[in-house]
Amino acid sequence: MGEISHRNTKPLQVNPFKLSQPMGATLAFLGVDRCMPLMHGAMGCTSFTKVYTTRHFCEPIAIQTTAVTDITAILDGGDTSIVESVKNITAKVSPSLIGLHSTGLTETKGDDLRAVAAQVDFPLVYVNTPDYEGGLESGWALAARALIEQLVEATEAIDDDKVVLLPHVSLTPIEVEKIKDFIAAFGYDVLALPDLSTSLDGHLGEKQAALSSGGIEVEQIRTLGDAGLVVSVGDSMRACAEALQKKNPFMRHRHFSHLSGLEETDALAAWLLAETGRECPPEAIVRWRRRLQDAMLDGHFSLGQTRILAVGEPDQLAGLCHSLHEAGAKVTVAISTIDSPQLEKIPAGRVLVGDLEDAENLGDAYDLIIGNGHCEALAHRLHKALVLRGFPNWEEVGNPLKQDVLYEGGAFFLCECANAAEKMRRHG
Amino acid sequence: MATKPKIRELLEESACSHNKTKKTSCNAPTPGATTGGCAFEGAQISLFPYADAAHLVHGPITCLAASWETRATKTSHTGRDFTQMGFTTDISNTDVVFGGEEKLLASIDYILKHYSPEAIFVYATCVTALIGDDIDAVCRQAAEKYGLPVVPVHAPGFVGSKNLGSRLGGEAALMHLIGTLEPETTTPFDINLIGEYNVTGDMWQYAHLLDELGIRILSTLSGDGRVRAIRSAHRARLNVIVCAKSLISLTRKMEEKYGIPHISLSFYGKRDTSAGLLAIAEALGDTDLIERTKRLIVREEAALEEKIAPYRALFRGKKAVLNTGGNKTWSIAAALQDLGIEVVATAVKKATEADREKAREVLGEKGVLMMNPGAEQARIIEERGAHLLLAGGRSLYTAIKKGIAFADVNQEKKKSYGGYNGLLNLAEDLKNALENPVFKNVAKRAPWEK
Ligand code: SF4
Repeated sequence: MGEISHRNTKPLQVNPFKLSQPMGATLAFLGVDRCMPLMHGAMGCTSFTKVYTTRHFCEPIAIQTTAVTDITAILDGGDTSIVESVKNITAKVSPSLIGLHSTGLTETKGDDLRAVAAQVDFPLVYVNTPDYEGGLESGWALAARALIEQLVEATEAIDDDKVVLLPHVSLTPIEVEKIKDFIAAFGYDVLALPDLSTSLDGHLGEKQAALSSGGIEVEQIRTLGDAGLVVSVGDSMRACAEALQKKNPFMRHRHFSHLSGLEETDALAAWLLAETGRECPPEAIVRWRRRLQDAMLDGHFSLGQTRILAVGEPDQLAGLCHSLHEAGAKVTVAISTIDSPQLEKIPAGRVLVGDLEDAENLGDAYDLIIGNGHCEALAHRLHKALVLRGFPNWEEVGNPLKQDVLYEGGAFFLCECANAAEKMRRHG
Repeated sequence: MATKPKIRELLEESACSHNKTKKTSCNAPTPGATTGGCAFEGAQISLFPYADAAHLVHGPITCLAASWETRATKTSHTGRDFTQMGFTTDISNTDVVFGGEEKLLASIDYILKHYSPEAIFVYATCVTALIGDDIDAVCRQAAEKYGLPVVPVHAPGFVGSKNLGSRLGGEAALMHLIGTLEPETTTPFDINLIGEYNVTGDMWQYAHLLDELGIRILSTLSGDGRVRAIRSAHRARLNVIVCAKSLISLTRKMEEKYGIPHISLSFYGKRDTSAGLLAIAEALGDTDLIERTKRLIVREEAALEEKIAPYRALFRGKKAVLNTGGNKTWSIAAALQDLGIEVVATAVKKATEADREKAREVLGEKGVLMMNPGAEQARIIEERGAHLLLAGGRSLYTAIKKGIAFADVNQEKKKSYGGYNGLLNLAEDLKNALENPVFKNVAKRAPWEK
């Protein structure tokens, strides 16, 4: 493994692809059925988040703002604007939950969310998500942890068939569904928290964006405590698993840094076999494993001579880079949005926390770019091959259907990368 | 000297007809019942199309990360296009505690060293305004050090709406740029285009016609903009406000300060484009120019009619419902009428008083002005037998349920519908929508559904 720098060394960000904690928290709340995310700040943050996510998912997005103004910024401790907001929201729709999350503005002025939440006579989960700390991934994880800490009821009962899946923010709706299905194929009932697989995928625009629909139900969250097993995916989600275990000392936990590529999927399968005492996984899984190996072989020649730049959230980067590494591709540069323990584990020539200006300056080091929609202009300028992954992607439709995880997604992913690299070599 | 504009004054802009009825109507968001952008977004929108200026957002990541590369403000600038770049100080926890001025200054240094722009706009945002960073002082210091404009923009999100922010952006240009440089030459037909942002290249749909008439665009605020041009904007003979009402206070102040009169018009659709061109010629007051403009209009309209003819046949008897906001409530309606489509209803929920008056004028007595389009549009489609719904993505299901064609008019990136040629783009898009089988197909039930 190569050189790792954990900090951005410039005074500013130029062409940033990092996103904010409040946006991550919004997404997490959208993975709860009939939840209204309520962002506590001035209205622009919410408006940006709404437009951003609508364009990425091509789905209606429910979200509200406490609309802090210059006057409330100074005179209100959050009480009035939050209580007013809850009143106005519930006058129009009946959410099952309100997901209150802060912004830099309201953190700077020091609003006490916990105290205000105690005054609100409505099911509400609060979480502090200043946008001057962390990023999309940590915002999602903080909100997921708040859902667990504030909603799950403590218990000592155990249902051995029940599994809780805690996915990191970069897993797409279809990826969450595939992981749920994989585990369910071993005979488990699987619940994901948050669950975008049923909320931000394939709604045909039939609902007005009044509330999120699909996702895990609030009642299901309350009773997660009796699950026999909790599976966390992505290092950002480790703390959530620990929070859940605090609700029930008998719950067991299995962590995966990611679920991309042969090795990690094997680890998941091996663990499920050991847990269930089965000899062999269901036939479909066996067949997909062979297809992945086949794709690794078919793609290795092209991938082996391709130098790759990968940019993304830490947990997502870890998965993509491992998957590529196994097939012989060389990730020469990996750029992460924020710092994370994952950076130590990423198999790449150079790993850094940075922005797309850094990517541009290192342009000689790679042939293929894997990253979000902002990378399109970069690839165009530098004449590089491109595979679009991550958030946001407004250049393509079908983001919720992109899958890179497990045997199946891994096979598709490697083929796509190899094809993109070959196409570039053919056409310059 | 503090350069913070007086917000109250801007809100009570006397030239804005919206404010005759409600004094601070542009600025009263309801907690838990509001959608819409913040002042920072508005300021950025109004200044962002200067492609040779760097736009440095002083704040945490939210403000810029979610706003760069989102607007297709096209430019003909041949150097590095800064409208497609994002710069932010991305302030952190430590900056919030100890202040972010040092970081801001270092960031300005960095940008000048690596990108040498013609100017830098520095935007305050909610957090940096609240912690009290003195961006005026930092900008002044940097401007002196480098000898080029470093413009503080005081429009943190919490001061109000996107609309107010656009005004504040205009205000910053007025205070720090306009009048700071003399143009190399002047002509009797120099104009400024104000409030035209050249989104999807709208401006280029009519700029060549002005050029042909000998009317020179001295500067723009800010479509396809250049810093040097706006610095010499005070020498124009006329300010032309295109569509956006938000910059009317700026033009009023330019009138007071530099004696430049202004007119307000739109370049959407055939009639408005013709009327707009003529209005400019008349305001410039040259009889020969007026004559030439009239001849050009006749020629352009004839050429357009020829190209529209095949569409007209297709659109005959077709009725549309329009659900959008702002000046689009009437400008697109007028364009639809130019194509021979009857507009049976338009939404005025998000329109100003002036836009409502105008919508009534365009649609006539029979047309419905929808105050609550979400609830009304389905019923009106049925009652009037509309064939087409033009709205934002959220209304798609209404169209599918009613089995009629749908066109998205609120998308951030789209083709230009401006000027004479833009009308052809609109016609082509509507033709595709009307002929597209997808709306019927996605409404089909599965074999196992009753
Ligand atoms: S509301 Fe404030 S913090 Fe939010 S995007 Fe606007 S300026 Fe930035």
